[in-house]
Amino acid sequence: MTEPRVVERFKKRTICLHWIHTAAFLILLVTGAILFFPGIGEPAAGGMTRLIHRIAVVVFVAIPVIYSVFNLRAAIHFIKETLTWGKGDIGWLEAAPLYYFANDEERMPPQEHVNTGQKMWQFVVLITGILFVLSGLVMWFLKGTVPPELFQWCVIVHDVAFLLAFLMLLVHIYMGAIHPTMTESFRSILDGRISKKYAKSHYGKWYDRISASKK
Amino acid sequence: MLVDVTKCVSCWWCYAACKNYNKLPETIKPDPEQAPPLSHDVWTTLKPVKKGTEWHSRKLACNHCTDAACVDVCPTGALSHNRLGFVQYDKEKCSGCGYCVEFCPFGVPQLQSNEITGVAMDKCTFCIDRVTNGEQPACAAACPTGAIKFGKHAELVEEGKERVATLRNTNTNAVFYGDKELGGLHVMYVLDEPPEVYGLPTAPEVPPTAIVRDILRWVGVGVTVAVLAGFGLNYVVSREAKMTRELPGGEYVRKKKDEKGR
Repeated sequence: MTEPRVVERFKKRTICLHWIHTAAFLILLVTGAILFFPGIGEPAAGGMTRLIHRIAVVVFVAIPVIYSVFNLRAAIHFIKETLTWGKGDIGWLEAAPLYYFANDEERMPPQEHVNTGQKMWQFVVLITGILFVLSGLVMWFLKGTVPPELFQWCVIVHDVAFLLAFLMLLVHIYMGAIHPTMTESFRSILDGRISKKYAKSHYGKWYDRISASKK
Repeated sequence: MLVDVTKCVSCWWCYAACKNYNKLPETIKPDPEQAPPLSHDVWTTLKPVKKGTEWHSRKLACNHCTDAACVDVCPTGALSHNRLGFVQYDKEKCSGCGYCVEFCPFGVPQLQSNEITGVAMDKCTFCIDRVTNGEQPACAAACPTGAIKFGKHAELVEEGKERVATLRNTNTNAVFYGDKELGGLHVMYVLDEPPEVYGLPTAPEVPPTAIVRDILRWVGVGVTVAVLAGFGLNYVVSREAKMTRELPGGEYVRKKKDEKGR
């Protein structure tokens, strides 16, 4: 069963970005969730979790910004990839229930470097990231200077972004690390490599493209 | 508590008594032109209104709403209703998020903040320790004219309405405020002008955003539980499906792929 894992799926710097961003987001998530979910707010007493939230958000914003400055092309590619939707995506959506429940690959169209589900996650990361930052900036720096109604709506926007990001993160973790057929997915975000077999079956279109360009 | 603005002489004794009893930093008697706003160390103050050359004042402090937006939005449970219906708070539990400050329809709670940490909200406590020991709140005890009265709710409502009826003989603007608003305020007012004049919203409400937030929080709980349950189901079903497609030798059985449409 052990296939040699020889296909480079993620670069080292991408993996670094992923995990630092993850760490920052998890800290933000926990220090924020206690204010969102009913009845678990007590650890927030005294304001220490807010301080942690604010330190974490600096990392959360700075890391992708620094990454983008040094890898502008990768950043632009990420945004393009996230916003490009086509026929293949509809095919994925149609095939996904059978694929993820019945392990039925027949109707799943070959996928690019990221599949439609991953693209949805990237989309949520991008959109909620913007919503989080904008509403968060108001709540951090403009508390008391903006009208209460605006502040209130920023709380709501932060809440909605939280719900979207949190739920999609659960899906991301489940799909990436737990789902029975995603056998190599989690290791690939640790060392960046997958087997040819896994690449062919999960990212066929991408694999064909990169193997063609190497010839 | 019943506040009758027509009896208030703007002496600031309520302000001074509040500061004294609650051990808040003392100040000199304020000038009505520069009335101190509520702050973390001003729990009751006056809202002065100039009429001609005269100053009239409305006592300004927490109204202790029955439908209290601050209690709704407080994420840590620091704010709550006590058994008398007053809005109490446990400063030890306060995270300083400021949601109560921003959602209160009267703009009452005040945040003491610094840039690092250790911030908390403060507001009128209804002198709950005095009240539970059979005493009046400090402001009511200090009021020399009876403009601030503490007593049984039903009696105060009756008294307030009677007073308004009397005032209406000469002033049709007179209005009783607070017995219906927000499920009933624990501070009610006899006003000789429309509420806005004294900085009171005519129809105060728990902001719709507070209700939206309440719904979101519980929807969040529900959806999270549903999603996790879905993962459990998916895991069992898809593992089963995967096993049935794998031969004992470990070879992966796959039907010939239909290349049409790819």
